Amino acid sequence: MKWRLVYHDSVPDQSSRHLSSAPVIAVLVAWMALCVAAVNSRPRVMPEAEVENRPNQLAEDGFVSSDACQTCHPAEYESWYSSFHRTMTQVALPGTVQADFNDVTVPEVPGRPMRLERRGDEFWAEFDDPGWESPGAEQNRPRITRQVVMITGSHYQQIYWYATGHDRGLNVIPGVFLLDDQRWVSRSAVVLHPPGQSVATLDGHWNAICVACHTTSPKTKFDTPFRSKPFDQQTIDTTTTEFGIACEACHGPGGDHARANRDPFRRYLSHLSAGSDSSIIQPALLNPKRSSQVCGQCHSVWEFYNPSDERVANWEGFPYRPGDELTDTRFIAQPMQNRREPMLQKFLAEDTEFVRGSFWADGMIRVSGREYNGLIDSPCFRDATEPEKTLSCFSCHAMHQSPDDPRSLETWAATHQVSSPGSGDEACVQCHATIESDVRAHSNHPVESSGSRCYNCHMPYTSYGLLKAIRSHTVSSPSVAETIDVGRPNACNLCHLDKTLAWTGNALYDWYGTPPPALSEDESMVAASLLWMLKGDAGLRALTAWNLGWQPAQEASGTSWMVPHLAELMNDPYEAVRYIAYRSLRTLPGYTAFNYDYLAAQRERVGRVLPALQEWRASTVSRQRREPELLVDTDGTLRTDVMRELFDLRDNRPLFLRE
Amino acid sequence: MPDRHPLLYARKHVRFGWWTLLVFLALGLVLETLHGFKIRMYLDVSNETRRLMWTLAHAHGALLGLVHIIFGLCLRTMPELCRGNIGLASSSLMGASLLLPGGFFLGGVAFYSGDPGLGITLAPVGAAMLAIAVYVMARATARVHLKKESDDGRKK
Repeated sequence: MKWRLVYHDSVPDQSSRHLSSAPVIAVLVAWMALCVAAVNSRPRVMPEAEVENRPNQLAEDGFVSSDACQTCHPAEYESWYSSFHRTMTQVALPGTVQADFNDVTVPEVPGRPMRLERRGDEFWAEFDDPGWESPGAEQNRPRITRQVVMITGSHYQQIYWYATGHDRGLNVIPGVFLLDDQRWVSRSAVVLHPPGQSVATLDGHWNAICVACHTTSPKTKFDTPFRSKPFDQQTIDTTTTEFGIACEACHGPGGDHARANRDPFRRYLSHLSAGSDSSIIQPALLNPKRSSQVCGQCHSVWEFYNPSDERVANWEGFPYRPGDELTDTRFIAQPMQNRREPMLQKFLAEDTEFVRGSFWADGMIRVSGREYNGLIDSPCFRDATEPEKTLSCFSCHAMHQSPDDPRSLETWAATHQVSSPGSGDEACVQCHATIESDVRAHSNHPVESSGSRCYNCHMPYTSYGLLKAIRSHTVSSPSVAETIDVGRPNACNLCHLDKTLAWTGNALYDWYGTPPPALSEDESMVAASLLWMLKGDAGLRALTAWNLGWQPAQEASGTSWMVPHLAELMNDPYEAVRYIAYRSLRTLPGYTAFNYDYLAAQRERVGRVLPALQEWRASTVSRQRREPELLVDTDGTLRTDVMRELFDLRDNRPLFLRE
Repeated sequence: MPDRHPLLYARKHVRFGWWTLLVFLALGLVLETLHGFKIRMYLDVSNETRRLMWTLAHAHGALLGLVHIIFGLCLRTMPELCRGNIGLASSSLMGASLLLPGGFFLGGVAFYSGDPGLGITLAPVGAAMLAIAVYVMARATARVHLKKESDDGRKK
């Protein structure tokens, strides 16, 4: 067989070529027209640099934003992206706003109802002007209509910020959207706040205060200190590298790192060597105290040492960088340690409620979001001398989910990014191995029970925030004396809610030799939880109400006796207490569908609660526990006389917990 | 080195091409299965590098299989191509077909977050060999074309 080349040499007829290409050209033209139409029909997204009515994102000073991290660190980026750190601050867009704005009227806000509407992809609110200060009748207060441009939160609630129309200044609309309940409430209804007092709303509040911890590397950029002049006489040009708490909040500016690692040889040398990359900070590789300070830059009660430091930060950004010593640039309020220091005295002089609003009487932090304050007062941190035996934030929490973690990213994020899906005792038993070898001997509880979990006894739910209780982040041991002296509930009685302080004192003496303190008759005879609910301040009532809904406590204490006491708190003067009591009531058998509005007028609330109370009294459930410490007589009737006496002793000092 | 008969080259590359196509289409099936059963070691964002590398291995392997078949068919239709450095083109194409998809595949077996594993160093070597093969063939086809034109000129 012979192979030969065959070439087609004939020249096609020119006219037939034109005819055959006509349909091709038509299709091409149609395709191009479609492309142009598609591009033009897309809504124009305004470039960030052109946005003028809110703070904008501007990566400078070596910061590059999380976009630069994604390519090389996809897994870390993904876990951060799933976290609530990222969504702490978001631009108000159809994909980020979780509340309904479609012609909604919100009557729950102070004054006249707030009206919400969508205008295309924009969100607008009409409400009473919070800045109106003219004397006269409240009905003369003008209405304003403003565009909602920013959001705080995405886990429990969303707070919406509107463009004031003055520079980049923001203020907050009067309603907050509760995500669990899918309802609007007033701002005062989401904080533990004295009834009848309004929650301050100030133009520029976000720019001056929130921006510090809810964004990455911000610059507040007020021309004069916040509130030193009327807002509309100031210029505000707030910028931040990125909204939300992003990569560089914990790793520091990443520009040098990204630049250096464009070199593949450097990258592979780094992969193949055991050392860490010196061009970026790895908080997990810092010593435990420095690594915890990375979290502490936000999760603490802090202040600048002097006003000039604040002014420098205002223009140049906050000076702290991960890896630095935090206290070089910030004063951390620690009433246990530095109550006598001039800085704290200054705060107290300016605000007598400064300590009470954030700390227990002995200086332990009592509000959420300030966990670093709790950690640094823990002996496992404070007294530790060896890095490997020092408790740190990373002992329990992980900023990036481990590849071995079987939980979904959503579950990991929703459970406070705790690193271990197991018992959670791992952080403790690293040092307390002898206890691990015989848990029962130490805890005096069955090994697998909630009473043998380290954190249930040493980190009980004694902090308050976001309409719930959170764990104390100061590791301590249960103490009745502390409960008497400070007023803080002890771990034993937060689980054994039906027991008295005397019962706990005796148990601690029998088990650990702790001398029981002298107790009053009430403290000896009445269950501690009832004392806290009847006599305690609003913060203590809120914590106790929450613990009544806590499953391990319900298993340890039974639930049949709880209804009248939660019902009582559902008419508490504090909205936050009522909310928590209602949620706890709904965890009780037979009350899961109980309908009640914690914001309704008192008459309506009583109207809802009374039938439930009568139903409970009539049921056999009410007669299951005829115990004097639960204020139930042997005939099954409630000891209302004692309840009234205790109620008269209630700590009614106004309380605002500054979470 | 004596010239090999074009048919021998053609047969070798067509055969190699079909087998390569079979291997890498089978790899494609495996990857689809990993998608179908949502296998985390392939689909998790943390394994994005592996997914990219194995997808590249599949695509390059299958395409190179086709290149082998075309190479073989070209030699059948244009035996004059064998007058060029066809041995170099053939061995380079063979090498590229092993190193390029192999490098991608190994780069996805073990990797460093956003960077492929060290196996990826085979890929640029394979790419260079492919470039050599293509260059040699491009030159050879140009020579055949020129020769045809000069033959046509002589006839006239």
